[in-house]
Amino acid sequence: METILQGIKEGFYLVIQMDAEIVQVTILSLQVSLTALILSALIGIPAGAASALKKFPGKKILLNTVYTLMGLPPVLAGLLVYLLLTYRGPLGQYELLFTPSAMVIAQVFLATPIIWGLTARAVMALEQNVYDTAAALGASRRQAAFTLIREARMGIIAALTTAFGRVIAEVGAVMLVGGNIRWATRVLTTSIVLETRMGNFSTALALGMILLLISFLINLLIILLEKRTFRYDNTIQIT
Amino acid sequence: MTIPFKLHNVVKRYQEREVLNADHLEIPAGKIYTVLGPNGSGKTTLLRILALLLVNDAGSLEVLGEKVNWSKNQLLKLRRQMAMVTQTSYMFQGTVYYNVAYGLRKRRVPEREIRRQVEKTLEMVGMSAYRDADARTLSGGERQKAAIARALILKPQVLFLDEPTSNIDMASAAEIEKHILTINQNWGTTIIMVTHNLFQARRLADEVIFLHEGHIIEKGPGSQIFDQPQDERTAAFLRGETVF
Repeated sequence: METILQGIKEGFYLVIQMDAEIVQVTILSLQVSLTALILSALIGIPAGAASALKKFPGKKILLNTVYTLMGLPPVLAGLLVYLLLTYRGPLGQYELLFTPSAMVIAQVFLATPIIWGLTARAVMALEQNVYDTAAALGASRRQAAFTLIREARMGIIAALTTAFGRVIAEVGAVMLVGGNIRWATRVLTTSIVLETRMGNFSTALALGMILLLISFLINLLIILLEKRTFRYDNTIQIT
Repeated sequence: MTIPFKLHNVVKRYQEREVLNADHLEIPAGKIYTVLGPNGSGKTTLLRILALLLVNDAGSLEVLGEKVNWSKNQLLKLRRQMAMVTQTSYMFQGTVYYNVAYGLRKRRVPEREIRRQVEKTLEMVGMSAYRDADARTLSGGERQKAAIARALILKPQVLFLDEPTSNIDMASAAEIEKHILTINQNWGTTIIMVTHNLFQARRLADEVIFLHEGHIIEKGPGSQIFDQPQDERTAAFLRGETVF
């Protein structure tokens, strides 16, 4: 217990001191995870909406696969990306292994199924009359599809926050494809592993605190960006 | 007089069950039609097919002078001349303003014009005070008035109403009836309304279409159908009896 308290205290000082390496690691973590989140959203939201709205053969199998991949073990995602990017792999010529780009790719593998699957669920939860209302008011198919996505946005925001939580906190994939190289590919989670192994518990705790703080702030930002949804109290009244 | 709707042997089935079989129906423009019939007689199905929200399984359909081929472009063009209000109108998340402006925004009307139109329409239905209210917190009556405004702002040639007043109090229903009459008289909008309220049908209908088990049993002027129904099933329905 004393170690934890001491660690938190020291960690707090480290955060305040704005140590150059900690700042760099924090910025890289944010860069990698936010880039991965944006790319995954660009793939996952349209794919999720389309797979919910369109009828096509193999739809159930596709969605079931996506739901399964939502639980893809990060180490496995990392291994797959590693094999793709390694010198002898299909994308080896681009020399991306052990770069932040490789870490982004690995995180896209993890976040996309979450955003895809949860967006599909959120859109499928809407009733037929939402589409009918939009169509009867003169919306084109594309406009009506955007309306459906807008109406499902509470669920989609949940998808984004879940996906961000997963990528910012994961360690296995970025460790494998990034290599935890100091000043190059070291991020908060891999630093925590390293510092813990070296017995620097206070530094590890400080990094953990920063990680939580970032997560809190990013989620707050996502909520604030969608002000309108939260402008009104959506809480179900339980009496 | 133009005939916006012509149906010939229009059939709709759900799985094996046939829910509509309209052998012949013509609906001339400018009148108020009420569609009557027991539960499950195919009233809403007929309305949704006419509104081009449901594809028929067989037969041919002519809407606003065009033979319907269900192509994307034709659907959009025809739907943009019609509007619909249902029993429990779905309100999009957002304000009353957002909801009423929706149709014009999809037609890419300039925002300044939209604002002018929304304010005018909300005033017409007595909902100006609710402009910025969350559309989902409205009472049943207010919600239906907002839905009427959302349809009226489009100045449709045809307005479909699917039991628009069945969930609201009499005063609000009377107000909505007044708007229905006004738009029919002032704009010549054709109104096709499903209702279970026979008094309301009597008050509003120029013509009545009576459906039973998916078939059109009778169609004619309201006075004739109500006072001298030709078919025993219509007469029984109007007497409040179970129709076999």
